Amino acid sequence: MADNVSKTMNPQLDRRGFLKGCTMAAAALGLSEAMIPRLVEAAANAERPRVIWLHFQECTGCTESLLRASHPDLARLLLDIISLDYHETVMAAAGHQAEQNLHDTVNNHPFLLVVEGAIPTKENGIYCMIAGKTAMEILAEVAPKASAIIAIGSCATFGGVQAAAPNPTGAVGVQDLVSGKPIVNIPGCPPNPISFLGTILHYLTFNRLPVLDSLNRPLFAYGRRIHDHCERRAHFDEGRFVEQFGDEFHKLGYCLYKVGCKGPETFSNCPAVRFNDVEVWPVSVGHGCIGCTEPNFWDTMTPFYERLPMAKIPGGGIIDSADNVGKTVLGVTAAAVGIHAAVGIGKRLIKGKKEE
Amino acid sequence: MATYERYHCWSILLRLFHWMFALSIVFLVVTGFYISNPWTNTLLEGSASFPMATMRYIHFIAAYVFSAALAIRLFLYIFGNAQERILDILPVTRRNLNNLKMTFLQYTYLSGDHDERLGHNILAGLAYLLTFVAAVVMMLSGFFMLYPEISFWEGWGVLLFGSQQSARYLHHLLMWWFMIFAVIHIYLCIWNDCTEPEGLISSIFTGAKFKHKA
Ligand code: HEM
Ligand code: HEM
Ligand code: SF4
Repeated sequence: MADNVSKTMNPQLDRRGFLKGCTMAAAALGLSEAMIPRLVEAAANAERPRVIWLHFQECTGCTESLLRASHPDLARLLLDIISLDYHETVMAAAGHQAEQNLHDTVNNHPFLLVVEGAIPTKENGIYCMIAGKTAMEILAEVAPKASAIIAIGSCATFGGVQAAAPNPTGAVGVQDLVSGKPIVNIPGCPPNPISFLGTILHYLTFNRLPVLDSLNRPLFAYGRRIHDHCERRAHFDEGRFVEQFGDEFHKLGYCLYKVGCKGPETFSNCPAVRFNDVEVWPVSVGHGCIGCTEPNFWDTMTPFYERLPMAKIPGGGIIDSADNVGKTVLGVTAAAVGIHAAVGIGKRLIKGKKEE
Repeated sequence: MATYERYHCWSILLRLFHWMFALSIVFLVVTGFYISNPWTNTLLEGSASFPMATMRYIHFIAAYVFSAALAIRLFLYIFGNAQERILDILPVTRRNLNNLKMTFLQYTYLSGDHDERLGHNILAGLAYLLTFVAAVVMMLSGFFMLYPEISFWEGWGVLLFGSQQSARYLHHLLMWWFMIFAVIHIYLCIWNDCTEPEGLISSIFTGAKFKHKA
């Protein structure tokens, strides 16, 4: 541990850490070992691309997980291969000087734009303002000049928790406001730093963005369902489930499906790449996936400890599980059928059967 | 004593569709309930039983039968015989509108008159059409969940449902329609069989109905 701390303090990236970071990214990208030298070469030689990192409605958790929590070499590798011209959390400049840097890069150089955080749109976007401008204005100014945009985190991609119904500030993701620019979405709360680093390295090595799915997520990181790579999958197939948190089955490490795991509906590389260099991810430590890489997860994946959302009965304001609603409707139907039959029989008893 | 004549009504394909559809739905509902809320817990590890995998496997086989049945019905809506074509059950002609009204009155016991026709009455026909549409949604959401990595299903699925979870939720909610439909449907078949001596229930096995001699 102490060793780890002192390494974190050392701002220099040594060759070993550099190679290690590149190798991790190559593994995440699914590149063969033979490609690693090319990746290393690109990372070492390419002119460091300028990156502008905008923070809007967010918690800075994505930056936090990228720069601190995970493998220290990853963060240093990242800072080594890009030139981070503007990033509110880590830049040394402040005030007018910072604004100066931003405008200088935007107006005079090609750059990659990274957006972290949702953009509130209600009432002309007054719910998020930086340097006297709304997030909407800043994005409209910077985005058209970017060579490509990377939206990092579930806020910048799909609006984030602040977009949960009834979405009071009208928060939306970058792709809802910007068109005509290549956009890569790296959702997650937070996303795995490797997915971000992999995207950047892919761009540096091959001069193009990675292949995306129809939600603009890179396939190398979001091409598979969590459920299909999960280490508890055998328990699922063989029907061994945790019934309740803390029960015997939970201690035995059975599948978390019945306590609301959203792995079957969620695309991400969590089970393969894992987090924080200690080889863990939520399911491995006994908590179901909450589906944070999927659009509207705050509405569609809740309640987190139920498998499916509750059914709302329009007008009535009643909220119940879908199956209870179904059972009620089926019961009413059966009762209606019974009454219908009884009326028919009663009528026949009174009037007698019509003769053919 | 009235005399009856035997009329051919349903082609063999339609009857095949009916039983493929009805039987697959029974399996789909039962296995669907299991997938949704597995009611067993395999306590012995290594006992080589795979209840969830097996239930899903049955669900998918039934799903293919179900989808094939839908393809048959689609074909018959366009190329079937006079009773099977879609125009026969749409309330667009005067004859059909009148039948809808009379069926409604008959089913609510407001009138004892039965509008004689060979095919479905319009109320039934519309319920079947609605069920067909619901079935198509089941099929689309089902295949989207089954093949999320195939770009065809991925593209259409995201476009139609937004995400796997939304597709799954809709798939689950719509299941209830099929159960409700089955209750009403079987009841009304029996009811009709008791009220009108046209041999309605046997028609879905034999393809023939009995009508008054003209
Ligand atoms: C009337 C027809 C059907 C009924 C009633 C039905 C019912 C269900 C139910 C209740 C579930 C569980 C949903 C949940 O609570 O999570 C389910 C899951 C599923 N169904 Fe169906 N289904 C039908 C047709 C189909 C069809 C045509 C397909 C096509 C392939 C299909 C594929 C699936 C798949 C892939 C799953 C998810 C299984 C898993 O991920 O473990 N279903 N179905
Ligand atoms: C014991 C069970 C059943 C019997 C005796 C039965 C009988 C019949 C009969 C007699 C008809 C023709 C009715 C008419 O002319 O209007 C029919 C049509 C139909 N039944 Fe059933 N049925 C059964 C179960 C089911 C189930 C479980 C389903 C699906 C949930 C189903 C779906 C349909 C559909 C969709 C049609 C319309 C066929 C068409 O598209 O033209 N049936 N059934
Ligand atoms: S724990 Fe979740 S992701 Fe893993 S097998 Fe069970 S349901 Fe699937």
